Amino acid sequence: MSGATIDRRGLLGAGVAATIGIAGQAMAQGAVLAPGVSKADLAAALKAMRAVVGDAWVAGDAESLRPWSKSYTPDPTGRHAPVGAVAPDNVEQVQAILKIANQYRQPLWPVSTGKNMGYGSTTTAAPGQIILDLKRMNRILSVDTELCTALVEPGVTYQQMRDYLDEHNIPLWIDVPTVGPIVGPVGNTLDRGVGYTPYGEHFMVQCGMEVVMANGDILKTGMGSTKNPSAWQAFKWGYGPYLDGIFTQSNFGVVTKMGLWLMPAPPVYKPLVVRHKKMEDVARITDAMRPLRIAGIVPNVVLMMGAAYQLAMFHRRGEVTTKPAQVSDEEIAQFAAQHDLGMWNTYIALYGTPAQVAESERIIRGAFAAIDGDVMTQEQMKDNPWFHHHATLMRGGLSLEEVGLARWKGAGGGLAWFAPVAPAKGSETQGQIDLAKQILARHGFDYTAAFAVGMRELHHIIALLYDKSDPAEEKRADDCYRELVTGFGDRGWCSYRTGVHAMDLVAAQYGDTNRAVNAAIKQALDPNHILAPGKSGIA
Amino acid sequence: MRRWMLMALALAAPASAQTGQSLGQTLAQRSPAKTYASICAYCHGHNVGPIILGRKLPVEYIQAMVRAGRNGMPAMRPTEISPAELDALAVWISKAPKDTKEHGQ
Ligand SMILES: Cc1cc2nc3c(=O)[nH]c(=O)nc-3n(C[C@H](O)[C@H](O)[C@H](O)COP(=O)(O)OP(=O)(O)OC[C@H]3O[C@@H](n4cnc5c(N)ncnc54)[C@H](O)[C@@H]3O)c2cc1C
Ligand code: HEC
Repeated sequence: MSGATIDRRGLLGAGVAATIGIAGQAMAQGAVLAPGVSKADLAAALKAMRAVVGDAWVAGDAESLRPWSKSYTPDPTGRHAPVGAVAPDNVEQVQAILKIANQYRQPLWPVSTGKNMGYGSTTTAAPGQIILDLKRMNRILSVDTELCTALVEPGVTYQQMRDYLDEHNIPLWIDVPTVGPIVGPVGNTLDRGVGYTPYGEHFMVQCGMEVVMANGDILKTGMGSTKNPSAWQAFKWGYGPYLDGIFTQSNFGVVTKMGLWLMPAPPVYKPLVVRHKKMEDVARITDAMRPLRIAGIVPNVVLMMGAAYQLAMFHRRGEVTTKPAQVSDEEIAQFAAQHDLGMWNTYIALYGTPAQVAESERIIRGAFAAIDGDVMTQEQMKDNPWFHHHATLMRGGLSLEEVGLARWKGAGGGLAWFAPVAPAKGSETQGQIDLAKQILARHGFDYTAAFAVGMRELHHIIALLYDKSDPAEEKRADDCYRELVTGFGDRGWCSYRTGVHAMDLVAAQYGDTNRAVNAAIKQALDPNHILAPGKSGIA
Repeated sequence: MRRWMLMALALAAPASAQTGQSLGQTLAQRSPAKTYASICAYCHGHNVGPIILGRKLPVEYIQAMVRAGRNGMPAMRPTEISPAELDALAVWISKAPKDTKEHGQ
């Protein structure tokens, strides 16, 4: 154990007295209420909700609201913290809460596991909202071992899924985002999140929902509302317009059940990393990867991890540079080389019979040999912690190691994801990197980023890491994020998802007609606008 | 590959750490060891958070930390870790010996 660790612990121990009163600050006395809602309305709504779920499951004062107020995202003006939280145990209670919300016009922000870290967690896009916390509803309703499907409630975590499958000896895999243990399939899928096995595009492997509408009606999508809904988790589309999509990244209903598909554990699992030495290699890697992904030879959602992002997981900034200005490629390259990392580390995994895996590996090795990539195996990477981390993710394993990112720049725990999308073409990469570096440097932040290659698209995943304990830096991070959104938008690269602090800004980039259609759907389904006003820029 | 499979086996939970959840039922109160393993241990002693076992940290401090979070440490809501689970967990952590498999950084 290093000396640095021990020093750090002493420091933390000294912080005991300082803990009290940190998260409470956002929910100060004069908290902003939702438009048209009086203090008396809020109090009456909370009182009525207590009668539904019991006193223990409603929070309405600064002290009890603390756990719902903590977020990594920037909130320099304190407008995102909730004014209350209510936690139902079942669908009937959800309906009763919606009725109360309609009566008092008190908006509710639904969350499932509520750990949308770096996108706002349990804070809200517009002020004055009560968190509708569905975490207590954590029943695994069914697991079909023949069809390899499950039906779950919103509060189910990936840890619970894994435990259930293991305890019942069911040889199915789950697919997790990087922070699996404390998040879950419903919240992740509804925000259109991703993981890293072949089932990584979560909305693609979602099948059937139960949704409580703002007026209390219960909608079952797909085959769910037919007389004998035996195919609810087997057939996504049902009949007529496909509705599931409008309940993702939206505020049109409260999802209370969701079906998902699970992958059978393969006979052989083989993780690989392809290392490249130069920043400019990114274009070649993308062009080599695209046909392999489209043809399914590389079956999983691939991460091309930049060295700076990798280092920020397990190291502190001070170990890599002493300068306050943006860390340079040279500094990163040098430190990365010492730790057996390339400037780009592309993680691929193969799944199947020994023969299938061997043939795919042969093709992949050929493709990367042609562009000077080192293809490395588990045996070669030995105990490399980064390889171990990604090998865990690509088999749906559970980990929270990557949260170390929040400590790259000071202890303050500031992190906001900026995630613009482009087609998976090499020509789309370098321009984005140059632009990101330029904007980040202007505000004094590092370029810590990765690309995820879906099938035909490239998600540029930029972790804006800042020290949230410094108010000036929090403000700079907020400004920087806005400039990233607009700067990238001007070049045609728009976000696939964003945090509560920037939802309106990103929505504006998708155009007036798009916004008007969303507004019309909102008006029809939730005329009192009680569900999460501001989510994805929908009022 | 063999090595990989062995590692996966080694990670499988012992019986004491089971949740015993059955279909259609909510998660029952977890033992402190299980709560720690399912949440805290992924960060503490695992590169993200400082080691907290074997330090005799005060029970109230642990509880306050879990509910409020601090810097990189996310806050845990009573819906995630119930009040009863947290009471038991904080006492358990406070008394627990150091776990030599955990590492700092
Ligand atoms: C280090 C790090 C790495 C990460 N890696 C990934 C990654 O690899 N992939 C990824 O996708 N994300 C990643 N994240 C982001 C995030 O933590 C996850 O996406 C997480 O799964 C989202 O939180 P959740 O599942 O608890 O969803 P929730 O917070 O419960 O939900 C997210 C949002 O969806 C809506 N919503 C949720 N439930 C409902 C409902 N029942 N009805 C209606 N609307 C609802 C709400 O707007 C809510 O705010 C990462 C975060 C960190 C800090
Ligand atoms: C996502 C990662 C993460 C998880 C999960 C997590 N912690 Fe933490 N924890 C941290 C970090 C990071 C710190 C250091 C906070 C700081 O820098 O101020 C910390 C600090 C602490 C401290 C203060 C330690 C000291 O030296 O003063 C305690 C106590 C603590 N956590 C308890 C817990 C408990 C109990 C759990 C499980 C219920 C838990 N944590 C789960 C990341 C985590």
